[in-house]
Amino acid sequence: MNARLVTGNLLLGVIPIAMVIALWQALVSFSYAPVTLLPSPMHVFERLVQQLLNSAFQQEIVATLFRLFAGFTIAVALGVTTGLAAAANPAVNAVVRPLVRVLAPLPKVALYPALLLLVGFGHESKIALVTADALFPILLSTYYGASTVERKLIWSAMAAGTPGRGILFKVVLPAAAPSILTGCRIGLVISCIVVFLAEMITSTDGLGHVLVTAARTFQAVDMFVPLITISLLGLILNGVLEAVRAYLLRGFPEV
Amino acid sequence: MTSERIFVTRLAPLLASLGLLIVWQLASLALDSDSFPTALEAIRVIPSLLGDPETLINFAASLRRMAIGFGVAVAISIPLGLLMGRSRAVASFFNPLLMIIYPVPKAALMPFIMLWLGVGDIAKTLVIFLGVSLPVIYHSFEGAKAVEEKMLWSGAAMGLSSAQRMVRIVLPAALPEILTGCRTGLVLALITMVTSEMIARQSGAGNILFNALDMGQYDTVFAMIIIIGALGICLDGAFERVRRRLVRWSDPQFDIPLSFS
Amino acid sequence: MNVKPSQSDLQPDVVAQGARATAMVEVDSVSQIFQTSAREDYLALSDISLTVAEGAFVSILGPSGCGKSTLLYVVGGFVNPTKGTARMKGKPIIGPGPDRGPVFQEFALFPWKSVLGNVMYGPRQQGVSRATAEAQSRSLIEMVGLKGFENFYPKELSGGMKQRVALARTLAYHPEVLLMDEPFGALDAHTRTRLQNDLLNIWERDRKTVLFVTHSVEEAVFLSDKVVMMTRSPGRIRQIIDIDLPRPRRRSELLLESRYQKYVVDIERMFDDSNVNEL
Repeated sequence: MNARLVTGNLLLGVIPIAMVIALWQALVSFSYAPVTLLPSPMHVFERLVQQLLNSAFQQEIVATLFRLFAGFTIAVALGVTTGLAAAANPAVNAVVRPLVRVLAPLPKVALYPALLLLVGFGHESKIALVTADALFPILLSTYYGASTVERKLIWSAMAAGTPGRGILFKVVLPAAAPSILTGCRIGLVISCIVVFLAEMITSTDGLGHVLVTAARTFQAVDMFVPLITISLLGLILNGVLEAVRAYLLRGFPEV
Repeated sequence: MTSERIFVTRLAPLLASLGLLIVWQLASLALDSDSFPTALEAIRVIPSLLGDPETLINFAASLRRMAIGFGVAVAISIPLGLLMGRSRAVASFFNPLLMIIYPVPKAALMPFIMLWLGVGDIAKTLVIFLGVSLPVIYHSFEGAKAVEEKMLWSGAAMGLSSAQRMVRIVLPAALPEILTGCRTGLVLALITMVTSEMIARQSGAGNILFNALDMGQYDTVFAMIIIIGALGICLDGAFERVRRRLVRWSDPQFDIPLSFS
Repeated sequence: MNVKPSQSDLQPDVVAQGARATAMVEVDSVSQIFQTSAREDYLALSDISLTVAEGAFVSILGPSGCGKSTLLYVVGGFVNPTKGTARMKGKPIIGPGPDRGPVFQEFALFPWKSVLGNVMYGPRQQGVSRATAEAQSRSLIEMVGLKGFENFYPKELSGGMKQRVALARTLAYHPEVLLMDEPFGALDAHTRTRLQNDLLNIWERDRKTVLFVTHSVEEAVFLSDKVVMMTRSPGRIRQIIDIDLPRPRRRSELLLESRYQKYVVDIERMFDDSNVNEL
């Protein structure tokens, strides 16, 4: 892309962030907000770095990441297989479709208390909630991608002698890959969000728990740190997935 | 579609719900645990719950906050998204900011907002507003971007000014996509509402849920889940019907119902 | 019979019989440079000068990528030329307007409005009352052969029908010049020939000035009074040919006429020659 345009856009994009930080700093410097409620950006940044190097905090990050990945992975496995099955088999479709229509608009977080009762207050309930929330976008985008594969692609493969199951894995799956990966990206973002929230509602560890604990003791600085951490994690994971996506889809026309 | 097929299609979700309830009933009987009431036990509690005035007040407050948060969010987000879609400068300005806010769970901002704004309605409505804004902005942006240039040129040749083209061509042309965003926003409004009430327990449906949990009234817990679930389905269904009527002229839309928390 | 080439210059040209020799559209040394994504300059049009007289049906003919659509967009005011000016009745063209009505290959209909709604759009914008606009639109819709389809929506129409609506929609606000950008390019051959006939029939009624972009030699010769042949990028005017065939033109008669055939063959030959030269 035009180098001038890129730097121009970048510059333009940095402005609102810079403005927010500047505004933040201004509020603090001019004492519009008490330091107890709104610590200075510098202070937050220092504390963030300090915590990131702190092993106890790192443990919290690990706990959160573990639940996030576990839930996300299960959601991908379940979502992709169910989506493919529903696209391939009308009987499966007939069962899955109405179930999805009923369950999709349900706020899964409302199930959280039930999950707590059923699987306990530990890792499992959070992983279950993450799976429940991340499942649907992945399932739906897989289904959509698989069911809208161009007929002619499938016919070409059939003419070349590919058996039924082969077609599913060699034609449908790759052709549906862009859609599936988009769904996974959405699912990943959801996983980040849900794990954090679940930890905020009830937990004994994890980043969400750190925030709530800090809130209860009115430690404003310590509240910012886990929030910024999860946001950064989300951005990083998103970037990694984007890279994976770009790699896997390198032969595809620009989508 | 034949009338039989329509009947089956409408019936299917109902059957699915029934199926789920039956599975629940059987599973809870099999597990026979105190913390897992049967479907029937939970359903039995619903009428008394809905009849209880305090519950109703809580619910009404929740719904009111949801409505205001949603309404204000939509009113601001659609114009912003449209402008972003048609002006590269505006898009470049807001994009990075939005991308940073995007992964932040809006309900997680509850403690902050409570810290700064207290525990009133404003705090909870604000969180819902933030949660709804993002998908609506995004979809309005995408919808506006996709409007055919030649359509705008045709309008310009007819004498429409730049502002008129925005309102009378870009807006209707992008409407299908915008409404998809609003539908997502509606789902999010409900979720954000419940979640924020679970985190910052003062009033509302989420609060009732966790109170029941704390007090060991497990059938109430499950009853509330059914009620909230039913609410979600009804809202979504109603909105879908409205949406379909408004954009009857467009090609069928496929949307991935997102469920951000 | 020889093709009579005429050089393009700034003198008003004498055009096909029946038209008054007043300049409706003038293009004066227009060049158009685009910036490609590779940060290079792409010369789409190079020093184009052209005069179009009132009431003339002029085709702009050339291979894809010769800038012919760009030239149309410059006249339409949708694109501002990098160099040079375009003028309409002596006044510089600075933006789009109802005096130059476009018809695009992609139809560009408003999908949320019915056929009637689309056609009424222009007149309503000009301040015409609802009742009058509706009446005028209905008769226009009938004229383009879509009577009975007034309440249909674009998504329910075929390509040919959509283009008829597009034409009616543009005619509805009475532009003095019609700018048609390969309007039949997206249609199948059968529909195309029907619409060509219908277009001429409609045009005969009030003989508007028409600028018609196409890559089909036959279409250009069949429809126009003048054919402006353009070269591949950078787009230049190679030659302007007067088409001296009588009107009204009937396809069934014309196809057998040797003069028509000679025009087509000669122009095609000129394109072939230029291709060889430009290799």
